[in-house]
Amino acid sequence: MTLDVLSSIKGATSSKAVEELFQTIKGAHLDTSSAEISNNHVVTLDDLREDKVIESSELERSIIKGNFPKEKNGYLVVAKVIEN
Amino acid sequence: MASEILRIHNMLVEGKISCTQLVQEKLDLLAKNTHNTVNFLLSDKAIDLAKKVDEKIKNGEKIGLLEGIPFGVKDVFLVQGSPASASSDFLKKYTSPYTATAIQKLLDAGAIPLVKENCDSFGHGSTNENTVFGPAKNALNDALVAGGSSGASAVNVAKNYTVFSIGGDTGGSIRQPAGYNKVFGLKPTYGRVSRYGIMAYASSTDCVGPIASSLEDIEIVLNTISGKDYHDQTTYASTPVDTTKALDKSQITVGYYTEFVENKGLDAQFKQKFLTLLDKIKAQGIQVKALNFKNADTLVSTYYALAMAETASNLARLDGSMYGERVEAESLKDSYSITRSENFTEETKRRIVGGNQVLSQGHSDEIYLKASALRRQIMEHFAQDFEQVSVILSPVTPTLPPAIGNSLKDPLAMYLSDIYTIGFSLGELPTLTSPIGTETGVQITAAKKQEETILSFAKFLNEIQ
Repeated sequence: MTLDVLSSIKGATSSKAVEELFQTIKGAHLDTSSAEISNNHVVTLDDLREDKVIESSELERSIIKGNFPKEKNGYLVVAKVIEN
Repeated sequence: MASEILRIHNMLVEGKISCTQLVQEKLDLLAKNTHNTVNFLLSDKAIDLAKKVDEKIKNGEKIGLLEGIPFGVKDVFLVQGSPASASSDFLKKYTSPYTATAIQKLLDAGAIPLVKENCDSFGHGSTNENTVFGPAKNALNDALVAGGSSGASAVNVAKNYTVFSIGGDTGGSIRQPAGYNKVFGLKPTYGRVSRYGIMAYASSTDCVGPIASSLEDIEIVLNTISGKDYHDQTTYASTPVDTTKALDKSQITVGYYTEFVENKGLDAQFKQKFLTLLDKIKAQGIQVKALNFKNADTLVSTYYALAMAETASNLARLDGSMYGERVEAESLKDSYSITRSENFTEETKRRIVGGNQVLSQGHSDEIYLKASALRRQIMEHFAQDFEQVSVILSPVTPTLPPAIGNSLKDPLAMYLSDIYTIGFSLGELPTLTSPIGTETGVQITAAKKQEETILSFAKFLNEIQ
């Protein structure tokens, strides 16, 4: 897939500045002998959030609806039906 | 500089100023300021809150230390019912449906948000020029950039328009503008402060932290906003920082990276002043140790490869479907792409496209996965270094802030200017910018969760200046 399709940005192409950064990564020396760092942000089973629905407030819901780009009778109007 | 929070608290309690008068004065200063620091003023809400504080004082009730203290909020945080634009056209008319955890904690403590502050759009920048509200101007010289991405937040503190401000730091966005405007800025350990309600840039390094004019105020605000949060599973429970005890110099070893000091891009005067600071520390009987940073030449690339990949994913949700601007078109895909093309800034588009390039088939192994491995190597490197030293000192920036208008023309130079801040972001480490040492300050970094060591050492450095 091309970058403009992947990014949903018309005419998107890679930039010289970003390409230069990527070239440095490609040429970088990776010390394969180094140990893996454990991921500190993995949530343990005994620290999971309670599995319950938390209702949002009426104010929150009304602001979310107010942010709809297009609205009809309290419902979000989507841009178009997906064709393919 | 002594605590501004405490000074204002005492004035309120002693009746030397009313909270309403204080808040109105700050709002007036913000409204007429010419540094482009304001995206939106929260005037009505601020005055309402100030009146409540005055009522409490009038009734003889005690008020908390932060009660009635006016502060600024970078315009990437949500504050329920208020605008949150990320300095973009995309969200210029967006209203926050809920409040970010860090801001809610400050509201619960009685602090009063005054302003949504200008910043680089979605945090994408190091100069606060990538914004649809006009570039924020440096507090000390308005021909120069404020820094970024939390540039206006640092300017507002430096100009005393806000008592403190809450910024976001992904690769240096609190620390660099703090340095450029000569105030304090802290990036806490990743996970100490909840990210709930801050618009995501690069989720694996995004941090929330304070910018203030004193170390005491940094400590007060940090202790208020820290803590485990139901809404952010990467947060952890932390104990409050307490720097009332004097620093035990015999227990401190200071490290610095020779590659950072010998970097050709480092201004000669900055280098000299940094080395002079190290000499002052040695003269206090503290051991100073030179360290090597073998990944220094790949730091910038590693950070940007990962940050661009993450921001491409995070900003994929902005397509005009549910909220934000929408451009109607012949097909759904056209609607998405025209909306995104017209409403993202050029720098944001550059980073989204770069991120998708990194993640695309054929590139992910040689760029994204390799950058991830390099990051793990960098983190391991830091862990080893902090077995030898208590804190690591480094410059904040290689040079003085650039003139407004120069940086967006040369994005690579802008990325490279982040050399001293992004490594500690990749390492998830707590880092403070203190406005001493070089013209743009010095960074003090410690091992994860060691904010107390950093702030105690920063106090000590202030005393020996």
